[in-house]
Amino acid sequence: MNSPFHRRLSSVATLAPVLAALAAAVHAAPPQFDRDVAPILSEHCFACHGPGTQEAGLRLDSFDAASRPLEGGRRAIVAGNAVASELVARIVATDPDVLMPPPHANKPLSAAQKETLQRWVESGADYEQHWSFRPIVRPEVPAGAAGAGPIDLFIDARLAAEGLQANQEADRETLARRASFALTGLPPKPADVDAFLADTAPGAYERLVDRLLQSPHHGEEMARHWLDVARYADTHGLHLDNEREMWAYRDWVVRAFNDNMPFDRFTIEQIAGDLLPNATRDQQVATGFSRCNVTTSEGGSIDAELLFRYAVDRTATMTNAWMGLTGQCAVCHDHKFDPLSAREFYSLYAFFNSAADPGFDGNVLRTAPAVRLASPEQEAQLAELEARLRTLEAERDAAIAAAAYVDPATLTPPPSRRDVVWIDDAFPAGAEVRSGPGAPTAWFTSQSPGEVFSGQRCLERTAVGVGQDFYAGGAEPLAVPANAEVFAHVWLDPANPPRAVMLEFRTSEWKHRAVWGDWTAVHVIDGRTDRPELFHVGPLPECGRWHRLVIAADKVGLAAGSKVTGVALVQADGHVRWDRCGLSQPDDSAKNPARSLTAWWKERTGKDKLDDVPEPLRTLVRQGPEKTTDPAEADRVRRHWLTKVWAEPPAALAGVVREIEAVEKVSRDLATAIPNTLVFKDLPQMRDSFVMQRGAYDKPADKVTRGTPAFLPPLPVTAAAVPSRLDLAKWLVSVEHPLTARVAANRLWQQLVGTGLVKTSEDFGMQGEPPSHPELLDWLAAEYRDSRWDTRALVRKIVTSSAFRRSAATEAVQLARDPENRLLARGPRIRLDAEQIRDNALAVSGLLVPKLGGRGVKPYQPDNIWEPVGFNSSNTRFYSRDIGESLYRRSLYTFLKRTAPPPFMSNFDAPNREQFCARRDRSNTPLQALQLMNDVQHVEAARGLATRLLAEASGDDASRIAWLYRTVLARRPQPAEAAVVADTLAGHRKRYAADGEAARKLVAHGESKPPESLPAGELAAWTLVANMMLNLDETLTRN
Amino acid sequence: MHPLLERKLLTTRRHLLGGMAGGIGAIAMHELLGATAFTPPSPSDPMAPRLPPMPAKAKRMIVIHLTGSPPHLDLYDHKPELVKHSGEDCPAETIQGKKFAFTSGTPKLLGTPRSWARCGQSGMELSDAIPNLHRVADKLCLVKSMFTDQFNHAPAELMVYTGSPRAGRPSLGSWVTYGLGSDNANLPGFVTLISSGVQPNGGTSSFGSGFLPSVYQGVQCRSKGDPVLYVSDPPGMDRAMRRKSLDALKDLNELQARQLGNPETVTRIAQYELAFRMQSSVPEVMDISREPQEVLDAYGAAPGQSSLANNCLLARRLVEQGVRFVHLFDWGWDFHGTGPQEDIRDGLTKKAATFDKPAAALIEDLEQRGLLDDTLVLCTGEFGRTPFREGRTAASAILGRDHYPDCYSIWMAGGGVKSGYVHGESDDLGFKVARDQVHIHDLQATILHLLGFDHTKLTYRFQGRDFRLTDVHGSVVKELLA
Repeated sequence: MNSPFHRRLSSVATLAPVLAALAAAVHAAPPQFDRDVAPILSEHCFACHGPGTQEAGLRLDSFDAASRPLEGGRRAIVAGNAVASELVARIVATDPDVLMPPPHANKPLSAAQKETLQRWVESGADYEQHWSFRPIVRPEVPAGAAGAGPIDLFIDARLAAEGLQANQEADRETLARRASFALTGLPPKPADVDAFLADTAPGAYERLVDRLLQSPHHGEEMARHWLDVARYADTHGLHLDNEREMWAYRDWVVRAFNDNMPFDRFTIEQIAGDLLPNATRDQQVATGFSRCNVTTSEGGSIDAELLFRYAVDRTATMTNAWMGLTGQCAVCHDHKFDPLSAREFYSLYAFFNSAADPGFDGNVLRTAPAVRLASPEQEAQLAELEARLRTLEAERDAAIAAAAYVDPATLTPPPSRRDVVWIDDAFPAGAEVRSGPGAPTAWFTSQSPGEVFSGQRCLERTAVGVGQDFYAGGAEPLAVPANAEVFAHVWLDPANPPRAVMLEFRTSEWKHRAVWGDWTAVHVIDGRTDRPELFHVGPLPECGRWHRLVIAADKVGLAAGSKVTGVALVQADGHVRWDRCGLSQPDDSAKNPARSLTAWWKERTGKDKLDDVPEPLRTLVRQGPEKTTDPAEADRVRRHWLTKVWAEPPAALAGVVREIEAVEKVSRDLATAIPNTLVFKDLPQMRDSFVMQRGAYDKPADKVTRGTPAFLPPLPVTAAAVPSRLDLAKWLVSVEHPLTARVAANRLWQQLVGTGLVKTSEDFGMQGEPPSHPELLDWLAAEYRDSRWDTRALVRKIVTSSAFRRSAATEAVQLARDPENRLLARGPRIRLDAEQIRDNALAVSGLLVPKLGGRGVKPYQPDNIWEPVGFNSSNTRFYSRDIGESLYRRSLYTFLKRTAPPPFMSNFDAPNREQFCARRDRSNTPLQALQLMNDVQHVEAARGLATRLLAEASGDDASRIAWLYRTVLARRPQPAEAAVVADTLAGHRKRYAADGEAARKLVAHGESKPPESLPAGELAAWTLVANMMLNLDETLTRN
Repeated sequence: MHPLLERKLLTTRRHLLGGMAGGIGAIAMHELLGATAFTPPSPSDPMAPRLPPMPAKAKRMIVIHLTGSPPHLDLYDHKPELVKHSGEDCPAETIQGKKFAFTSGTPKLLGTPRSWARCGQSGMELSDAIPNLHRVADKLCLVKSMFTDQFNHAPAELMVYTGSPRAGRPSLGSWVTYGLGSDNANLPGFVTLISSGVQPNGGTSSFGSGFLPSVYQGVQCRSKGDPVLYVSDPPGMDRAMRRKSLDALKDLNELQARQLGNPETVTRIAQYELAFRMQSSVPEVMDISREPQEVLDAYGAAPGQSSLANNCLLARRLVEQGVRFVHLFDWGWDFHGTGPQEDIRDGLTKKAATFDKPAAALIEDLEQRGLLDDTLVLCTGEFGRTPFREGRTAASAILGRDHYPDCYSIWMAGGGVKSGYVHGESDDLGFKVARDQVHIHDLQATILHLLGFDHTKLTYRFQGRDFRLTDVHGSVVKELLA
């Protein structure tokens, strides 16, 4: 046998001297597994010998596995015996074929790391559970200086152990500015600094902190950090990247912090607020957390893939935000480093996989589900409109029934002619009705069926000689189409028949007559009876029953296009009843989509584009009348047609439809005006969840049910068969959960101090960095959890610690020993974040509009930031800058377009909110310098600052320079500083005195304008000084 | 003083002030890890020029991205068989089970209507749409066997430049500047120039830094407004006043540095000085009117316009000044045939004219200046185009092609690639790679190799994992190396 394994054994003998050398270096204290050993194993070994992969059958993440005999009989780890341990033999091997990690893995161990592993094996290879997965046990606070709080006792004990000297407390001006930025993201006002300086009683600093914690701006500053975690933005994020409305969620976060909402509630409401009993509107708004993910509506995407991606994003974000675990690693395979299997990941994913929102966001503002954020008055108004609509709809339904529409296409044979009625129960609207000679116009009202021809009544006249009812004006002229016939119905009394009846029509004159019976009794012109002026149709019709008199319109000179302005119903002697008069015309109604439902429907059957049909009906309309067999469905189409398409609805129906449309418009306008916010909800029917092979949406493997990872405490048993998101949320904040409190407390520490106790605040797994102060972290976590998750109390504890209050002055020895200040011998000094830098400039210049909340605003932005990346049809293609106060709102409220974030943000390391971000970089680049020197919003702020200075600071240059320092830096200038400023001021003054035009240009930059009373040259010179002050390293830094 | 020297001195000074904690350690680490490992840049001087871990032929790179993807079958890959069968139904096996962006059913084969010529000593066959490139055929390394996984623009473009079809990963340019820093501190190390209108399909992610520090993202030099954001002083302020202000700023910051001893303050002083120099160097390098007329003519460039010609010339000016990575995007290559400008006959002739003249001029210009040997030029789309007529436009008089990921052509030049060389081959009808296939990740691995990196070792730790441009794939295509 010549396996590598055997070759390996033979090399062991040569190792003895190396091992001896290593042994000589052993210190008294054995390495600690989680702090010293686990990071090495995780980084260098687990990729091949960890939870995910076990090459050569070797697994190094538990003692049992690592001490099992391997092929050939040796064991990787023999506790207490380095020489017998294959692991040690392999890491110190000189033969590249034997050496572990193998050279090609590019993960060589340093001498110190080899030594650590060897000592650990020697000391018994004690495997402890990874530190962050262990229960949180409140550690004992070390003894120390009297009066010191627990935080400082932990920090100081470590400093003492390291032999580092802590700095003194920073001066009060520095403290005021530090605390103000840390807690509100804004600089202190000079008056606040003065009040603090004047408060000489003990506890002055604590009182300052309490004032800041009460400020509404505290919630804004806290929210800013959480919104990075939540990946909040104002657009969908992909393809068109259209606007998305969910700023109410952002405002909810601000409010939650301002109300000091306990972190467990903060958690539960965001993960599962919708599932709380009687969930309030706010609790639903909070679920927007899981709707902040990037979505798309790009054609060609696959719905199932999108749904999968969103659920993965939501799961990974939850896993990361609360547990500090890099869950997305387990999307494709079991986690390589942490004990999170793919199955476990997908069991968490099952909590989010039944989301009710669609794969395609539709590129719309309010992708459902969303909640409406109406005021009580608006709600009442909406309810009223709704009620009115219900009433009208009932009326409409009645009108539809009354119309008794018969589709002409359903008649056999289909009608060939159609009547247009002029007179029936009434003359045309507006007609000036006259009669005579003889009695006035009289109506006979029907008492029993058949007495009138149609409707309720008919005209009735008994004449001696010629008698008539007529009108000759007042009504709209009646149009005569081609091929028309005119008609009227008569009933002649057998007991008293007339001699003749005549229909007479007026256009410009009365010269259109048709006579039945003895024409000489009614009209004689010249004896001719074959002309329009007098056309004899034939004998009188039969008496005693209704008869239709009909004559082709052109026979009486009513050519197509004629306008009839008057109609007379004439008789000679006798008793006659007249009814229903009008014209009949060729009827195409069976084929006319405006008259025949069937014709309309067939015309649209099978058509792709149905722009004139409302979306919900399109499928039905497209499939056609024949395939629509469900009467209820057919009725939906019919009602649409009768109300929206039918050319001749009865007046009652047309009226109610018009009214409905009016109410709907009012209602719609109101609904558009009322903001909405996207919320998370489940589908009524849960989707099944599967482990997806290699993270492919279309490769489902084993089915999984909702559950939590085995290495964490079990999900409490509930009555429900399937645990809910609410159960998951409660589990996250349960007392037993080892991660949530640690992760959350660490993030607060990072936010306030600059670097987390665990620097990798996004990764508490094996690949993350172990905490610099494990006991302190556990104490903070226990304190947080046991104080009912009182966020403000924990913040207060941190910022009132001596560690937070120390001077940031850095001695060379400190820098050499602890370059990153992880041990906190000196005070935290960090560059302000993007938002703080801009807000600071706005605040000190007096331009800041401190209004809270509302839709995202669009402040100054250079041209062509959105446009080059915007799709033609995107509604965020063109950046239209706001005007007025929106330019000066806090940066938290700036509209965030994901594919083109505001440069002032990204330039200073703000994330683009495409995914969860727990930690920002703090870069230092020339592009930042260019922005702060030249961006119009900073130049305008400098001008605002100079304007304030000239108005508020009286006296000579020296006192004005002092004012400038106090306003911008909360302190007075040192003489050397004042001299530098005075010198540069003098230079600028001279320059602008010589060039008034340049001065005027500078001070006119930006939308706001300076008071005209200020001399431009002086203002310009001070503006440049202010611009320089706003660029000072000290200004950009929380000292 | 020479900018490089000045920068070195500055760094040294910072060391003396105690700033660069990682410095010495980093060097030791580098030795420890052996020759091919990658040493991450110092966080406080992220753009300092660095040598790559391996000897490199290419020191800088220019990418010409033809956004929308040009019809490679009418430019680079002549398929006489396809011409012969033009108009016939696609053979079933060529389209079975495949999804196309805008084509369904059985489309008709579309042979190229263009005429072709054998060019240069190498006899490389190129179409008449790109007559100027004929002249430089012997400089080109033409790869006819590319393939990718994506058939929609945005994901495919992200695939080419970030190695992943989804937004969020660092782009090629940011990986390269992360690895090498930049040779000119007065200019951004990674510059993006966009012509012919709108978007790279992947948005800013195509030149974004993903999870790398944002200092490595591509700085878009713009043809409208400031060439680099905020580079102009405000109205009413001249250079002398800015200098005066900066002198005061420097004095005050130095006082602060002395009192607090924080190295970041010193870095900031340096960044403001760099910014000041950028204020003159950026407008200067972006001002092509300083070029002699014959150079402008060679590129077809005209000062004041926004064009690929101008951008090719700018790319040369930028790399000449030590910019590490220049990424050009030129919109308008999506030859579906939905309009006359997307017809592979006249439409392509017109569009190609705006590209082939400056591209050829760029290669010649780089060579004349001795820059071609160590400047890698890549010209590609996000995928290829189908050997058949696009479905929507099949009935029209216009000839267009659909998106096609399975086989297409790209070219490179300079920077250590073989010249006058054709790599790989498509099958007779152009549907599949017939020989020597090259995946996007292979191309990326090869590019990084040319720049001196083992692509498996140029990594960045993010959320617990070491990410790299090639994800977990890719191998260097040795045949492409000179």
